[in-house]
Amino acid sequence: MGKTKKTPEQKSYQKLEKKHELKRPVGMNCLKAFLVGGLICTIGQVLTYFYIYYFNFTEATAGNPTVATLIFFAMLLTGFGVYDHIGQFAGAGSAVPVTGFGNAVISASIEHRSEGFVLGVGGNMFKLAGTVVLFGVFAAFVVALIRTLLSMWGVI
Amino acid sequence: MHMTSIGIRVLVIFCIFVGLSGCNQEQRSAESRYSLLQTTNPDPAIMESQDLKKSNIGAKVKEEVLSLEEVYDVAIVKGKQDILVAYKVKHLQRFRMKKIEGRITKLLEKNHPKENFTVSSDYKIFLEAVELKEYMDEPDYSEAKAEKKLQHIIKLKNELT
Amino acid sequence: MLKGKQSWVFPKRPAIVSTGVTGGPFEAKGKLAEDFDILHEDLTMGKQSFEKAHCLLLEEAIEIAIEKGEAKKEDIQFMIAGDLINQITPSSFAARKMEIPYFGIFGACSTSMEGLALASFIINYGGAKKVVTAASSHNAAVEKQFRYPTEYGGQKPPTAQWTVTGAGAAVVTENSGQKGLPVTTSATIGKVIDMGLSDPFNMGGAMAPAAADTILAHFNDMDLDPSYYDLIVTGDLGKIGQETTYELLKNAGLALEREAFKDCGLMIYKEDQPVQSGGSGAGCSATVVYGHLINEMKRGTYKKILMVATGALLSPLSFQQKETIPCVAHAVAIEIQD
Repeated sequence: MGKTKKTPEQKSYQKLEKKHELKRPVGMNCLKAFLVGGLICTIGQVLTYFYIYYFNFTEATAGNPTVATLIFFAMLLTGFGVYDHIGQFAGAGSAVPVTGFGNAVISASIEHRSEGFVLGVGGNMFKLAGTVVLFGVFAAFVVALIRTLLSMWGVI
Repeated sequence: MHMTSIGIRVLVIFCIFVGLSGCNQEQRSAESRYSLLQTTNPDPAIMESQDLKKSNIGAKVKEEVLSLEEVYDVAIVKGKQDILVAYKVKHLQRFRMKKIEGRITKLLEKNHPKENFTVSSDYKIFLEAVELKEYMDEPDYSEAKAEKKLQHIIKLKNELT
Repeated sequence: MLKGKQSWVFPKRPAIVSTGVTGGPFEAKGKLAEDFDILHEDLTMGKQSFEKAHCLLLEEAIEIAIEKGEAKKEDIQFMIAGDLINQITPSSFAARKMEIPYFGIFGACSTSMEGLALASFIINYGGAKKVVTAASSHNAAVEKQFRYPTEYGGQKPPTAQWTVTGAGAAVVTENSGQKGLPVTTSATIGKVIDMGLSDPFNMGGAMAPAAADTILAHFNDMDLDPSYYDLIVTGDLGKIGQETTYELLKNAGLALEREAFKDCGLMIYKEDQPVQSGGSGAGCSATVVYGHLINEMKRGTYKKILMVATGALLSPLSFQQKETIPCVAHAVAIEIQD
């Protein structure tokens, strides 16, 4: 599509503009992401132990209610308008854990509520998260295929 | 957005969380309560109707499993037909959990070909095993009850996600 | 009257008799809160959708402007308005309620000055006696269309800008000779410039060349020295865009005084508000000019200003298709009548 070659004029301007551009504080962002992401995962671990301890869940099965609980809290935080502030602070730290996925689905649902339940909420709920679902499933399929083939040929 | 109103909202969420976790307080004995975090290494629990000669198998299995250097904590329950072996693996060895499980299963089946083992590294199974052992130490806990609980634990172990 | 290549001179000096400015909760906490006529406490403003709230902002701004101009809706011949939403529905819906013959215009964030230039031209040549012109934007409605849902926790880079929730409207009339009123004296219509930037989170950087081009064209056409104006204000270039424009102008031999070169996007919010690089949106220049700057001019702080509103002419579709961002800037000179 519109990827034509840059003219020398455009190149020299972009060089000039770069000088004034504010850089992302990558190091600091990584640190914040690590801390917040780690905190969310710690909460997740506590929840897992909670379900193992007080309910009939094993380590293997406790993941399901843990994820559900985390998404539930992400939903409350999103609805109360807190999660986007956390997101601006933490970046990937709050986007990568499952709470980020929940936030993407829930924020889109809230946003498109005004267009009705079917076309609005239903049609736009996975506007952002749909990509994750699609490529997640596809990547899992490819990896499973490779593994199956390798084990069929006796490599692993 | 007011910072104070965010504070209130976070507080509300926190209260819901605490409320949720508060309503399921079930009393457990000290040992099983801490077995999730500490090394307990309980004695093997053997159901009484087994003959004495056979009861020695519990100690043997325990020794064999503990001989693996990755394993630091073992709980064993011997039922009528099943032997439940729950163990904990040193934290950094958890990446090789599957391999360790395979090794233990192989070792036990080789040494005791007649027994029926259920091997698990799951914390929950460990927790339940310790708890069962404690119940069995109580004089008024019937053997039928113990066997039922053991079968329940084995079923739990085989549950899929 | 055309002067030079792309500028109009308005010899009859159309007057901005009254203005109306409305804003949202975030603007209420900003630096210029006192210059708004209405500030809403809630982003939805009691409406069912952000788009309806957007429409309300504009309706209120126009109503206030007309009321302050001691006129009635029926006295206004034309309404010129625009915004950023698909097919400029908020402006058109407001026009439906106003029942004033209507021009819908789109110049992205340069809409305010595009409207003012056209209104002045119509008045100057007797096309109308009274024209109302307005521009507006609503943070959540615009974010929804151009970026992510409002509550989505994505991290914005420091180059990003915050869309202003607000509307500004002005009633432009024939000059009655009344002293102390702001009048428009000239306007320069910009051409669309694309320097190949494609990051929708760095609008300031994309718009800077358009702003610089229009400012240069204005001084060339009008044959003026920059010191003629007390203040040269850009629309919503933000930190990056404004610095870049300043350097571009310096390199082109137009030395502005740094203090007399400001940006609406940097004036509207306080330093501690989390707006990254500054404010933006069609409502940004409209609220600052029709609110703060006109008030300051009436108070005598500035006598002559050149207002340059800049617009990034992208759509959500165009940047997803990896198109670069074409930009435009329009300038209008506003003076206080002696």
